[in-house]
Amino acid sequence: MNAIIISIIGAVIILDKYAIGEFGISQPILSGTIIGALFGNIQTGIFLGAMFQLIFLAGLPIGRDIPPDGQAAGIIGCSSYFLLKTSNTAGHALLLAIIFALLGAIVGGILEIVTRRYNEKLYHIFMRRRNSLSICHLAGLLTAFLRGLFLFLCIFAIASTISVPSQFPQISRELFMVISVSIGLANTFYLFIKRSTAIYVILGGLCGLALLAF
Amino acid sequence: MRLGFARFLKILFSSFFIQTSWSFFSLQEMGFLFTLISGAKKEQKDRIIKTHKGFFNTHPYMSSYIAGATVRAYDDEKSSDEEIKKFTTIAQTSFASAGDLLFWNTLRPALLVLSVILALKSGIIGPIVFLVAYNVFHLYHRINGIREGYNRGKEVIYLLKSKRFTTVQKIFEILGAFCSGLLISVISLKVNYLLVIPLAALFMLLLLKRFSSILIIVVAVLLLLIMLIL
Repeated sequence: MNAIIISIIGAVIILDKYAIGEFGISQPILSGTIIGALFGNIQTGIFLGAMFQLIFLAGLPIGRDIPPDGQAAGIIGCSSYFLLKTSNTAGHALLLAIIFALLGAIVGGILEIVTRRYNEKLYHIFMRRRNSLSICHLAGLLTAFLRGLFLFLCIFAIASTISVPSQFPQISRELFMVISVSIGLANTFYLFIKRSTAIYVILGGLCGLALLAF
Repeated sequence: MRLGFARFLKILFSSFFIQTSWSFFSLQEMGFLFTLISGAKKEQKDRIIKTHKGFFNTHPYMSSYIAGATVRAYDDEKSSDEEIKKFTTIAQTSFASAGDLLFWNTLRPALLVLSVILALKSGIIGPIVFLVAYNVFHLYHRINGIREGYNRGKEVIYLLKSKRFTTVQKIFEILGAFCSGLLISVISLKVNYLLVIPLAALFMLLLLKRFSSILIIVVAVLLLLIMLIL
């Protein structure tokens, strides 16, 4: 799987973020699974997808607000890890993949603003030519696809060529889990914990302990 | 009056593209027009385009209710263009608020936490459970929204007063809270809680103080680098 092919696949997956359907396929847990399957290591894909999902759980696209692109981060993190791992150790690949993913989330959010500004031009074309609704509207698919392709191609080109020296810091899966679970717990508490639901947190905790015991 | 199956399918299919050309100027305007035009009769198309100039923004899944009701208003030929425009203006904010609270704030994150737990315990089952469960609710609102919107007409807005939205929201709030507790215990053997508890408290504080998501990401990267150096 080379950088160009995975960029095209990533750009197709990211269309689900808002351009087509919003079925949830672009969520990191699912995109990680798909990318893992494409690289022949589905378990690692699911693990990385799950961790990125916890980090980007509370990015709520409400109204005109555009939060950092968690979906792009999931695709970048998982794909970069597999691309980097061909010429680096697992610890180096994981650290660089996390950094690429988090930076990619910020750049992805900025690119989304640029794309939506470009869509304004499509709207103005439609206002001038009223019979061009379908063309102008569906051209948004192309702008969304190109946004993803540009973002992924730049990052995956670096990921597929970079080779870090052995003295470069490495990260273990356990440490990555600590960071993502911390953010994930903060996100879930922020979203769900109220006086009325506190009892269910305790109940969930007890059920989890029972599950571990048996 | 009934909505034919072919028109229903056209509205449903085009509603999947409602956000395709989302822009800061007109928001979902072109997407909403595209949905309406696909389900409109030939003689209604010019009138629809003239009436719905400006901007439109609502929750993408909830747009089906408004599209169904608007198509019905044009079929009935009882309402003036101003009345129809007024209805869409009021309905878009009401359905947006209900949809954001139900889907973005509650249902999706709750199912995602559940799927993460299942993924960590049983692998592929987690993502599959999310995909199926989420789309059952998603497609129910897309499909049923068109039917309800068309059958009830402009009265569809009163659906928001019914308990169907608030009850589902409460159920998923409980599921989300339950999964938060479950996540803490399920991963207790895999992570060091001496690190997780203070870090979670720090991120919680940043979220409560409404710091931007970008700052939270920067803090996460910095913490990661500090941990590696130490």
